[in-house]
Amino acid sequence: MFSVILYGRNDSHGYNLHKRAAISFNAIAEVMSDPDDEILFVDYNTPDDHPTFPEAIHDTLTEKAKKVLRILRIRPEQHAHLKSKTHLVALEAQSRNVALRRSNPRNRWVLYTNTDMLLVPRTEGESLSDILGAVPDGFYQIPRFELPEMLWEAAFDRRDPVGNLAKLRDWSVRYHLNQVVHNFMPMKYDALGDFQAALREDMFAIHGFDESMLLGWHCDSNLAARLALYRGRVDTLIDKVFGYHCDHTRVAAANNKGRQTRMNDQDQYIWNVSTPYVPAQADDWGWPDVEIEEVRLDRETSYERFTAGLDAALKPATAPYTATSLEWHLYDDLTYDLDHTLPFVTDQMLTYPRSTAVMVVATRRVFVDRFVTAWKAMGFTGPVLVPNECEGLPSGLPGQERGAFEELLPKAEMFIFEFGLATQHADEPVRTGRMAGPLDTKRLKVVAKLFRQAASTEAETRPSGRRTPRRFVGVNVIYNKFWPLFTDYVGANINPFCSQVLAGLPRNDPSLRGKVLRFRGRRAI
Amino acid sequence: MSNSGMLLRLSGSLRDTLGTRRRQPVDDWIPGLNGGEAEHLFLRAKALYRMGDGKAAISLLRLATEITPSFSDAIEAEGEVLDMSGDTAAASVKYEEARRLRRNGRAGAPDRHFVLRQQGSHTAEIVAYTRVLKSLKKFALPNLARGNAYLADRQPEMALADYERTLKLHPGSLDALALKGEALSAMGNYAAAIEVFDTVIAARPRSPDALNARGIAHIALGHVDRADADWGQQLKLLNGQPAASAYVALRLADYQAALPHLETMVRNDSQDPYWRLYLHTALVRLGRPPSGRESADADSWGASLLSLQSGTVSQEEVLARADTAGRRAEALFQLGVATHAGDRSAARSYWQQVLDDGPPTLVEYAAARNELSRSVS
Repeated sequence: MFSVILYGRNDSHGYNLHKRAAISFNAIAEVMSDPDDEILFVDYNTPDDHPTFPEAIHDTLTEKAKKVLRILRIRPEQHAHLKSKTHLVALEAQSRNVALRRSNPRNRWVLYTNTDMLLVPRTEGESLSDILGAVPDGFYQIPRFELPEMLWEAAFDRRDPVGNLAKLRDWSVRYHLNQVVHNFMPMKYDALGDFQAALREDMFAIHGFDESMLLGWHCDSNLAARLALYRGRVDTLIDKVFGYHCDHTRVAAANNKGRQTRMNDQDQYIWNVSTPYVPAQADDWGWPDVEIEEVRLDRETSYERFTAGLDAALKPATAPYTATSLEWHLYDDLTYDLDHTLPFVTDQMLTYPRSTAVMVVATRRVFVDRFVTAWKAMGFTGPVLVPNECEGLPSGLPGQERGAFEELLPKAEMFIFEFGLATQHADEPVRTGRMAGPLDTKRLKVVAKLFRQAASTEAETRPSGRRTPRRFVGVNVIYNKFWPLFTDYVGANINPFCSQVLAGLPRNDPSLRGKVLRFRGRRAI
Repeated sequence: MSNSGMLLRLSGSLRDTLGTRRRQPVDDWIPGLNGGEAEHLFLRAKALYRMGDGKAAISLLRLATEITPSFSDAIEAEGEVLDMSGDTAAASVKYEEARRLRRNGRAGAPDRHFVLRQQGSHTAEIVAYTRVLKSLKKFALPNLARGNAYLADRQPEMALADYERTLKLHPGSLDALALKGEALSAMGNYAAAIEVFDTVIAARPRSPDALNARGIAHIALGHVDRADADWGQQLKLLNGQPAASAYVALRLADYQAALPHLETMVRNDSQDPYWRLYLHTALVRLGRPPSGRESADADSWGASLLSLQSGTVSQEEVLARADTAGRRAEALFQLGVATHAGDRSAARSYWQQVLDDGPPTLVEYAAARNELSRSVS
């Protein structure tokens, strides 16, 4: 019957976002009753190494919410062409249009709202699907009622939408919450963007939201102006459903700078609108030709993929625990426990697209073996690129591609550099003071050289058309002699030694030292 | 003077009552489709309600709907007042009644400008945009939106004034110009409308709405070839959109082209009996067997036409039920279709009556014109 369209990103937009959003997702799902109903959440421009916002809060969502939720992930790379045109990190019009394009075509209605709204049918037991199924074609709004922060934060249980809706029915009377704020037509009510129900076919006919609105604010009013022209009337559902907004003004959101807030021009986008259509984007609104990843919380979750990868690559431990040490006298010992380290390596991968091509530059054969096994079992479809310059590594593994480093470099979308000892055996104790032998030293030199070269030339060797920098993962680069090397070139956080793994984007150190390092790296000196 | 007459006088300003006004300011409200008396009552009731006198508001709204029973905005307003007073159940009935009334009647043809596809009356919109114009006179949207509401409510003179004002503020607005053409056409000033559409189409040769509108103005003047050329071009630009394409092909009396779109629409929209009616029409005119007996809501006009097609009611009965010129033309067109195979002369006579009595905007009008021009040639 209807597709709810929401957007956001995995950040901290406004006060206590996680609670507001969980309450809202669960409450919206609760008032859905048609099998075609869906919540489309566009996760816009969350950093690649983070999960999407709903994944981050999945444990607070009800099973019903997880079932109806489809997450459409727009990557930073897909936003890169708009980055210079806006101060915002998440774009409403683009997000909502990407969702509209990919919404269930069987649904008659599209409902635009936000992740802090609770919709309460006035007749208990009635669903929003029932309500929308019974009303004639049109463009519908409802007034937004405000919910003081104390009420939703202190009294709502995120996973009890039925109880929350019941509380709202009670509070609305006890605390006089229901005040309708009328507005100029075509807006009808204040804060109209929290409930705009339009026919899906109308939204396609008018080319969705206006994607030239890149500065934030008034996207909802622009839509109201255009749909009011198209439909001739702005109808209300106030007799059917009340909408409550979880107030979040304790902390200003990123797009709210008081009187200094930059916003789309009201005159241009509301009062001088003269047509419902946006002909300039008639063919490409909602990015019809762009492949958008879809993430589900009710199947093939990141956790399921992670454990599938590790279960394929690892056997369970046979001892209660193992040991290592970071004492200084062991600084040159490069042995490490692969079984323990592999989960931290694969953990770096899961938030990336399944089609990612990863380059693995390593010393230990078993590392590549295990990694490729886990990679395939985690459902990645992109190749594992292994340079020919790295000797002693396996060839012919499923999904593996070998070739000259220079040839593979522009194909790689992520890098793993592993600094271990080629001669380390599987059952060998780690960090006992073992020194690198000649073969180890030879292999490590190759890895270090390729690392410097890859990091120094990252910007100019990107795959064709790519604008965003690629991520570097260093394995066994903490508290040993490759720690300084890795962090000279890569902006990594300080991580616990136990994880053995550092990761980050190439540093652009403007100091003389940084320039010298990049010069040496480029020329493999 | 009746109570409502007294209230009507009280609703206007002193200047209105004394008749001293010389010209119509942009932000002045003019009553429309529901009649001056009912709309004045509506306006006064809204004011009383905002001032807190819900009881008086309800009594005025009831008076308004007694005068004009189809006044959906007044019924909805009563629902709002009842809702705020706590009588939710009674309010709900009023809201539903308003929605039912707005759904009544045939929507505009899907191949036309979006304003002309709208249903019901737009009094509340006219009032609301008039209020906006009190503060924001120099912007396109409130002028255009109110003009559209007037046009949809079949008050093209009022619409034209709003479009002219928009064009004064934004002389380059092709959207306003195209609507001005529609208003002129609705006023029967087809030659002036064609001039306006020529300008719009010169700037926007790929505008299906403008091509459609110019085609209608041409057909009204009897320029069949020029009308067909515009609709032929529109049909190409529609890129297979089934509803609009079906209507354009029907205007052209090109039943072969209309057929697949009609089949799609019968599948997609079972609520609208016209799709089944037109599918049957196309099949009959193509000499193919109709796809079975069709039915619709027994009380609807659509059901009458379907019954006429299936021969279960007489021509006299249907023509007696045709309460508007448009409906009469629809029935006469179907009679022409039904008789064409057996008696071409009778069919021609029916179709000629469509042209004599029917509005040129009607799809049957264009189809009849094309049928006649084809049978002559």
